[in-house]
Amino acid sequence: MNHIVGISEIKVTDQEDDVVLTYSLGSCLGITIYDPVARVGGMVHCMLPLSKIDQVKARKKPGMFVDTGIPALFEAAYRLGATKERIILKAAGASRILDEKGTFKIGDRNYATLRKILWKNNILIASEDVGGAVSRTMYLEMDTGRVIIKSQGNNTEL
Amino acid sequence: MSYNILVVDDSRTTRAVIAKTLKLAEVPVNELYQAENGAEALEILNGNWVDLVLADINMPVMDGVEMIDRMSKDGLMKTVPVVIVSTEGSKTRIEEMRSKGVRAYVRKPFAPEVVKKIVGDILGDQNAE
Repeated sequence: MNHIVGISEIKVTDQEDDVVLTYSLGSCLGITIYDPVARVGGMVHCMLPLSKIDQVKARKKPGMFVDTGIPALFEAAYRLGATKERIILKAAGASRILDEKGTFKIGDRNYATLRKILWKNNILIASEDVGGAVSRTMYLEMDTGRVIIKSQGNNTEL
Repeated sequence: MSYNILVVDDSRTTRAVIAKTLKLAEVPVNELYQAENGAEALEILNGNWVDLVLADINMPVMDGVEMIDRMSKDGLMKTVPVVIVSTEGSKTRIEEMRSKGVRAYVRKPFAPEVVKKIVGDILGDQNAE
């Protein structure tokens, strides 16, 4: 079954025949996690870096912000049996697609926040496809754990 | 198999960041030596078995360039792979050091994944030999 992760949404699954995907990552950040032993995976589609601008929304939709989305994604995966030591994290997006002059730098700020949170929590990025000025679609295939990025007609494995 | 690694940098913070990076990268470290400058590093290299050196360039007392120069003149030390981790980015500088046996160069600030890849490649090579 295909699970589409909308903007600010989080989806986790332990079903092998699932594909978790999100469309049109621009400055947004798509993050996938996968535990190859528990066979648990998930994805979040974060829009903005920091939750401090709207904490009410952050509580309602933690996936909206990078700083609340990542912990929420991990917690959801833990509930299905994933463990931090085994989790493989991949990231895509954070481009400058609607902001080519770099006025807002949302993509850059999303990515910087991601780096900061991961460093603090002792997690490395296994693979990433970030930056540039392109739109990306991200797929997590639960039967293999592979993450595929589709952008400008090309499919690449992260 | 685990490795003895020497980190040479005058900033304690940088040494701590590199130490944490090695841990996150799951590099099997036996002994992690630390030195604040080239002179201290040479002393450690003289008295201990070291498999890999991660070194800065700009440091007081003895900088990285001189340290590498001296290492390249020592029969045993010149076989130890060195990775430069520095803000210094001059191409000629880097080329010069590569000719003296520097295996890789990491520009500060670095992503931990970059260090993981480079250290993994170098230590992996050694295992293959």
